[in-house]
Amino acid sequence: MSLIQEKERKQLVEILKSMTNDVTIATFTQEFECNYCRMTRELLEELTGLSDKLKLRVYDFAKESDAAKKYNIDKIPATVLLGDRDYGIRFYGVPAGYEFTTLVEDIIAVSSRDPGLPEDIAAELSKVDRPVHIQVMISPT
Amino acid sequence: MDFPGIVLDTSVFSQQKKPDHETVYDMLILGGGPAAMSAVVYAARKMLSLAVVTLDFGGLMRETTEIENYLGFQSINANDLVVKFEDHVKSFDIPVSLGVAVKEVRRQGRIFTVLMEDGTLFSGKTVVFCLGERHRPLSAPGEKELAGKGVSYCATCDAPLFKGKRVLIAGGGNSAFTTAFDLVRVNAEIVLVNFVEGWQADETLQQRVRSYDKIQFLDFHEVAGIEGEGKVEEAVLRNRKTGEEKRMLFDGVFVEIGLLPNSDPVKNLVELNKKGEVVIDCSCRTNVPGFFSAGDVTMVPHKQIIISAGEGAKAALTAYDYLIETNQL
Ligand SMILES: Cc1cc2nc3c(=O)[nH]c(=O)nc-3n(C[C@H](O)[C@H](O)[C@H](O)COP(=O)(O)OP(=O)(O)OC[C@H]3O[C@@H](n4cnc5c(N)ncnc54)[C@H](O)[C@@H]3O)c2cc1C
Repeated sequence: MSLIQEKERKQLVEILKSMTNDVTIATFTQEFECNYCRMTRELLEELTGLSDKLKLRVYDFAKESDAAKKYNIDKIPATVLLGDRDYGIRFYGVPAGYEFTTLVEDIIAVSSRDPGLPEDIAAELSKVDRPVHIQVMISPT
Repeated sequence: MDFPGIVLDTSVFSQQKKPDHETVYDMLILGGGPAAMSAVVYAARKMLSLAVVTLDFGGLMRETTEIENYLGFQSINANDLVVKFEDHVKSFDIPVSLGVAVKEVRRQGRIFTVLMEDGTLFSGKTVVFCLGERHRPLSAPGEKELAGKGVSYCATCDAPLFKGKRVLIAGGGNSAFTTAFDLVRVNAEIVLVNFVEGWQADETLQQRVRSYDKIQFLDFHEVAGIEGEGKVEEAVLRNRKTGEEKRMLFDGVFVEIGLLPNSDPVKNLVELNKKGEVVIDCSCRTNVPGFFSAGDVTMVPHKQIIISAGEGAKAALTAYDYLIETNQL
């Protein structure tokens, strides 16, 4: 049974038409897949099937530890969005529920290679000269 | 561990048209809560030239989790209902100005001009005014500075952040007790303070909260100040009978002392009642021809989603009739 229903599938096909460049989704799972790893992989397989510009790369967290290291992945299921470069976007856990809209938004953003920030804010941010750890707490309300 | 499903909020992806500053619209709908959104649906179906001007979509609906009294839905997540409303509104492809506040509405002859906080202007032959309400502040020293840093006006949004913490709740009515109940569930240590004597919440709600042992009730007390370095640390509570003041340590302050209508932008234009609500007749007409109002910002009792939605529909239809009667279509 597919995880993405017919109605959303149609909407996604339309939304993904606005992708301008290719996006590769890398997902980390392992040979004996945890339940959520399997769900994540299946969800991403369905999603990447909806646009020619979307590619999926499935990594084995244990066997391909070099890749895990490269993308700084320390837990699974993990999802990495890659464009012409790694923009640092990661999803941990199944990107379902409200996270799914965020995932699609991020795919479109990576595809455009443009974070969509106003110029003045981008200029301010370019002054950041060392790694900064930001944590944002959100609730659906 | 079933698949939790996906939520695809399509409104995020649609390219919204922006209203134009030169056009005189048939109708300007101000607000983005259920009253305004319902007005849009009715007005759009009359093929009027329309624009919506609002800070957000959803309004106060965004402050609650489950809605159990909107016809057709025995129980629906408030966010999901907002998305449904918003999808309906956006299906009409109407220009929307989002994120900038309306400062003032003025009238020049028969035309209304809406002056925005950023200095821009929109014009319309009619206005449907649905700006709803906002939380009444305590107006205690420190409240403004510490808003969002421990001072909160939305328990649904913020109660989970105060798990096991010390929390002050200002208020004595249903919303204060509902807030207390939300905080009981996260095992907070609670002090409830009411400005007047006694407690005004429904008895059943009071009973539910009173059975909790980590709660203190102080009626006829005033919050005389909120203090802390960058976050709430303590509050000064004044006994209004004796004048005696005491300091208590808190991690958070929830202000639940009612709502105020967002009628400031029209206070020099239309008649307001003592509470500041827009005075309307049963067709949502104000004392100014061409200016209509609906929802929580008006004097209509029982502030609820379904009521606001009904009023919004009525206001849009009355405004349409006005445009025909005055030969402006
Ligand atoms: C905690 C809580 C729980 C609730 N639960 C329920 C419930 O279960 N069922 C129910 O029926 N009702 C409930 N309500 C009441 C319900 O949310 C309101 O009655 C309803 O949202 C009012 O709709 P409205 O369109 O009149 O105003 P609002 O929803 O308040 O919308 C006002 C709109 O105007 C915009 N706005 C305000 N000022 C400006 C400005 N200056 N410039 C531009 N835009 C502006 C806002 O952004 C918003 O979009 C609840 C309310 C609260 C606070």
